[in-house]
Amino acid sequence: MLVGTFVAYPFGSILYHAFTRWDGITPSQWVGLHNFRLLWDDPIFRNALKNNAIFALSVPIQLVLPLIVAFAIHRRVPGWRLFRATIFLPAVYATVVIGILTATVLQLNGPLNEALGGVGLDGLEREWLGDASTSIPLILLIVVWTNFGYNVLLYLAGMSAIDPSLEEAARIDGAGWMRILASIVVPNLRRVLEIVLVVNTITAFAFMFTYIYTITNGGPGTDTYVSEFYIYQQAFTNQNMGYAAAIGVTLVLIVFAIGLFQIRILTRKDER
Amino acid sequence: MRRNSWPLVVAIGLFCVSAVLPLLFMAATAFRTQADWANAKIGLPTTLSLGAFERAWTGANIGLYFRNSVIVTSATVALSVFSATLAGYAFSKLRWRLSGSVYLFVLAWIAIPPLLLMVPIYVEMVQLGLLDTYGSVIFLYTALNLPFNVYLMTAYFRSVPDELIEAARIDGAGIHRTFQLILLPLAKPAIATLVIFNVLWAWNEFLFALLMLQSDGVKTLTVGVLQLQGRFVSDYPALMAGLLITSLPVIGAYLVFQRHLVRGIVAGASK
Repeated sequence: MLVGTFVAYPFGSILYHAFTRWDGITPSQWVGLHNFRLLWDDPIFRNALKNNAIFALSVPIQLVLPLIVAFAIHRRVPGWRLFRATIFLPAVYATVVIGILTATVLQLNGPLNEALGGVGLDGLEREWLGDASTSIPLILLIVVWTNFGYNVLLYLAGMSAIDPSLEEAARIDGAGWMRILASIVVPNLRRVLEIVLVVNTITAFAFMFTYIYTITNGGPGTDTYVSEFYIYQQAFTNQNMGYAAAIGVTLVLIVFAIGLFQIRILTRKDER
Repeated sequence: MRRNSWPLVVAIGLFCVSAVLPLLFMAATAFRTQADWANAKIGLPTTLSLGAFERAWTGANIGLYFRNSVIVTSATVALSVFSATLAGYAFSKLRWRLSGSVYLFVLAWIAIPPLLLMVPIYVEMVQLGLLDTYGSVIFLYTALNLPFNVYLMTAYFRSVPDELIEAARIDGAGIHRTFQLILLPLAKPAIATLVIFNVLWAWNEFLFALLMLQSDGVKTLTVGVLQLQGRFVSDYPALMAGLLITSLPVIGAYLVFQRHLVRGIVAGASK
């Protein structure tokens, strides 16, 4: 039980220090809302948040595609056992491993450009990670790929709890699989949909650090910063612990607000 | 569904191939020589060269980091199993004041992304003098995953019928003996779930390892392997060997404990 304080105490501490100027060593000075005012006008923070929002595009993808895949596995399409076993594999690799591999494959004289050249698509060769307009969508793709299997397993777990006679009855009535999915499976998966929604949103806003650190290191310049990366940067490169704490608090609030908002939407749809 | 589902099946199949691809790429490249890599970035080894593994294992200290990862992961798992089984027992089967509120207090932290707390956690570790020790990450990993672990064990113990415990009590067993003789043996599958989740989490964790572990004697693989990228700028076979060494233990653990992992996700989904 005492170990719980390793989480609870830091949380209290971050709340307090968000209102201070602090280098982590000397005692902190109370500066009121100063940090938050700075943050509001900080272009790097705005850009970082924008990038987090782009990564949140993974949420609608993760809501829909894994659901269809899970339903196929649930209905035992040929190969379903093998699919169920391998689909989670991307989530087993360490994020660092995936990050380093991505950076290796996408570098200027790396395997991807070589393969493109090999099949006569030289025109497509480029410095994939040299510009945010190509690196951000590619990282988004990697994140979707990594978490895909986890969402499939969540849906599968939810589907196995649905009374099979419901599906059976619909099939006898001549309903196609799309109809069964839409009118029997989805309405019974509300809890799982909620979890998928919240987990993937939190991922986009609070678990992007390792991808960014290993794939682009925030570059070029600060173009591919995400908020968590900015916290790290401010705290451990610039020694602005107070400012970093303010970013952390802001982010917790944003994540919470989005989570609540999403659950509200889902429950309303359900009542209709 | 059977008749016109083949495009979907092919798509799922392709995804599954892509899931294995990194493993194949790492393995193929790790057995190649630097000259092979210079010639072509994609290809099979010309000679089965173990040089890259040697350069990574001894030259780049991957052997040492491997040992550190084993120590940190096993200590985290042991501590997690110990604390979560005891807490789960206390929350599910023992009656004590505030049990309900303390349980809620512990669970609430599932919602807080730990990354956002990196600043105060770092400073706390400095103050406790734990920086750059195994202890820092072992305690931290245990604490951060504790809410989920406790939830899992409490839910499991709740499904154990009270009559069993009543019977043990009538036979004169105290709360500790009941726990040891009745509940622990019954909890083996739940403990297996706990083990696989925490192995994956502790072995693969990166940010806090990066912050806390600074000297080679304590660094874990995820941090150490990144160093390999800097040290051997053009030695990609050695880098891939390092990544492969990092990945194989967790993939092995996943294959062995797969069933239990799925059970944990089921428990999570019914939360």
